[in-house]
Amino acid sequence: MTYLSISNVSKAFSNTPVVSDFNLEVDKGEFVSFLGPSGCGKTTTLRMIAGFELPTSGVIRLENEDITYKAPNQRNVGMVFQSYALFPNLTLAQNIGFGLDVRKTPKDMIQVRVNEMLALIHLEEFGKRYPHQLSGGQQQRVALARALAIRPRVLLLDEPLSALDAKIRVELRSEIRNIQQKLGITTIYVTHDQEEALSISDRVVVMGLGHIEQVGTPNEIYNYPKTEFVASFVGQLNLVPVAVLNASQGLVRIGSQTVQTQQISEKVGSDHPSLAVRPEELHLGHAEDANNLHGKVDTITYLGAIVRIRLDIDGHFVSMDLFNERKLALPKVGEPIEIHFPVHACWLL
Amino acid sequence: MKRAFNLRYSLRRFPFWSWLWFILGALYFILPLYATLDFSLRMKRGVISLQAYSSAFSDPQFFQTFLFSNLMALATIFISLVLIVPTCYWIRLRVPAARRIVEFITLMPFVIPAIILVFGLIAIYGAPINIPFTSINLLAPLTESDLGTNLLLAAGYIVLAMPYMYRAVDTGLQAMNMRALTEAAQSLGANWFTIMIRVIFPNLRSALLSGALLTFAIVVGEVTISSFLNRPAFGPYLWLLGQHRSYEPAALAFFSFLLTWAAMGLIQLVSGGQGQVSGAH
Repeated sequence: MTYLSISNVSKAFSNTPVVSDFNLEVDKGEFVSFLGPSGCGKTTTLRMIAGFELPTSGVIRLENEDITYKAPNQRNVGMVFQSYALFPNLTLAQNIGFGLDVRKTPKDMIQVRVNEMLALIHLEEFGKRYPHQLSGGQQQRVALARALAIRPRVLLLDEPLSALDAKIRVELRSEIRNIQQKLGITTIYVTHDQEEALSISDRVVVMGLGHIEQVGTPNEIYNYPKTEFVASFVGQLNLVPVAVLNASQGLVRIGSQTVQTQQISEKVGSDHPSLAVRPEELHLGHAEDANNLHGKVDTITYLGAIVRIRLDIDGHFVSMDLFNERKLALPKVGEPIEIHFPVHACWLL
Repeated sequence: MKRAFNLRYSLRRFPFWSWLWFILGALYFILPLYATLDFSLRMKRGVISLQAYSSAFSDPQFFQTFLFSNLMALATIFISLVLIVPTCYWIRLRVPAARRIVEFITLMPFVIPAIILVFGLIAIYGAPINIPFTSINLLAPLTESDLGTNLLLAAGYIVLAMPYMYRAVDTGLQAMNMRALTEAAQSLGANWFTIMIRVIFPNLRSALLSGALLTFAIVVGEVTISSFLNRPAFGPYLWLLGQHRSYEPAALAFFSFLLTWAAMGLIQLVSGGQGQVSGAH
C-alpha cells in the first residue's frame, strides 16, 4: 500500500503557479529525489509535505491520513535544511534531543537516543560542543541526527549538501544513503545536482516549471528519458537537427550523411525532429553494424577522467566523451575523423 | 646600518594615522568625563574627596527616586520585550511587507516630542472612558491612582524606547536565520510558545540586552513625562538637584556613567559565550 501519496497538488503564489497538478506515490522505506533546475517547484512541494506551505489544491496523505492542512509540528516529519538550522544556543546533544524534549520524553530516554544518534553520525565525542565549533559537514550530520531522533514518519531533505564542498558532499551523500537504508526510513530528497539524485535514489522525480516531467529509477531517467527536458537536463546530450528519410525503417539524415535509429514513432514525426545521442555513446573510428559519421575536430577539452571532443558534422556540432587513458591517441584540432555509435544508442525527439 | 633599516621598517609598519585618530577620538570622550570626575571630587576646597558622592547618596530622595526609576525601567523593558519581540518576529516571518509601515511607526517618537505624548496620555486617560454613545464606564481615570499613573508612565517610556528596542530586536532577528530555525523547531514538534522561549529569545540574547540597556538609559534619565505625571523619578530629581547644587549632580552624572559601563560589561560577558548563529560561516 502507498505510504505517502501526493494527489493533484497545486500551489500558486499571488496567482503565479509554482507547482501544477503534482501526483506521486511513495512506498514505505523508499528514497525518492526531486530533481530539477532552480524555480521548478521541488522545494515548494517538499515544504508542502512538511506543512510549511499549504497547497492551493490537492491532497497529501501519509499512512492513509490526510495531512494536507495539518500543522507542521503535528506531522512527525523530520526535515534537514540547506543552512543546517542548528540551534546556536544549544549543544549538539541538546540539539539532537530537542524534538524529544518537546515531546516530554523522560530525560534518561532522551540521553539514550542522543547517544544512539551521535554514534550513528560518528560524532560520539562531540555531544557537548556547540554548532559553531563544527565544520559544515559535521553540522549537517548533526542536523540529520536531530531530524532522525524523533523517529519521523518521513525524512525530508532540502538540498542538504549544497553548502558543502565537493569532496564532503560525495562522502556525506553516501552516508545519508547508508543511514536511510539502515533505518529503512521513507525519504524525500530535493536537489538540483543530477549526479547526487542518480547516485542515492530508488526513484527520481524530474521536475520542470512546476510539473513532473518524468518519474523513474535512475537507470530509466538517464537511459530512457521521456521528454526533451529530461534528456537534456539529466546528463549531457547531443541534439542534432535531422530530416526523416524513412520513418518505418528509422532512417534520418544529418547534412549529407544517413543515420539509422530505432523505429520512429508518429509522436516525434514533428516538423523539426532532433537526433538525441549521449556523448559517451560515441566512439572514434569505423565499426560494422553501427552508425558511422564523418566530421572534423573543432575543440578538445580535458575534464579530468574524461576528454570531450567537439566535432563539426556537416555544420552541426556534436560532443563526444572519451575516457582519459594514458595511451589515448587523440586526433588534432581541424583533423577529419570518423566516429561511430550503435543504433540503439540514439533516438528521435 | 641594519639597525637603522629595522627602525625604518618598524616605523613604516606602525599604523600612525590609525592610532592618531583613535587617540583623538578617545580624548573627545574621556576628557569631559575626566573633567566631571575631577569636579565631583573637589567639593571640599583644596582637597580631593568623595564628599559630593556621600552627600548625594545620603539624600533619602536619591535612593527613593533611583529605586523607582529602576523598577520602572525593568517594567518598561519587560513589557517592551513581550510586545516587540513577538511582533517583530511575526512581521519578519509572516508579513514582511508590513516592515516598512512598522518601521515608520517606530520612528514616530523621534518626531513627536515627549511633551505632546504626555499631554495626550493625560487628556485621554485622565478622564473616565465610556463606551461610545453610552454612559457605561469602561475605564476609570488612570491618573487618579498611583498604579494607574505608573502604568501611564510605563506606557510613555515604552513609546520613547520603541525605536531603539525595535531596531535592536529586528537586527538580532536578521542575523539569526530565524525562518530556518523556526521551521526546524516546528518540524521537531515545537509550538509557537516553545519556539519563542527556547529558540528565539535565547538566540536574541545580545540584541535584547542592547535594547534593554538603551531602554534603561532612556528611562533613568527621562524628565518630561515623569514630571508631568508627577512621579518620583530619578530624572526630575537629578534636574532639580542641578538647579540648586553643583557638585552632587556631577557626582551622580559620573555614577550614571559607571552604571552604563557596568551594563555594557554585562552585555559583553553574557553575549561573549554565545554560539555563532547558523549559517554565519
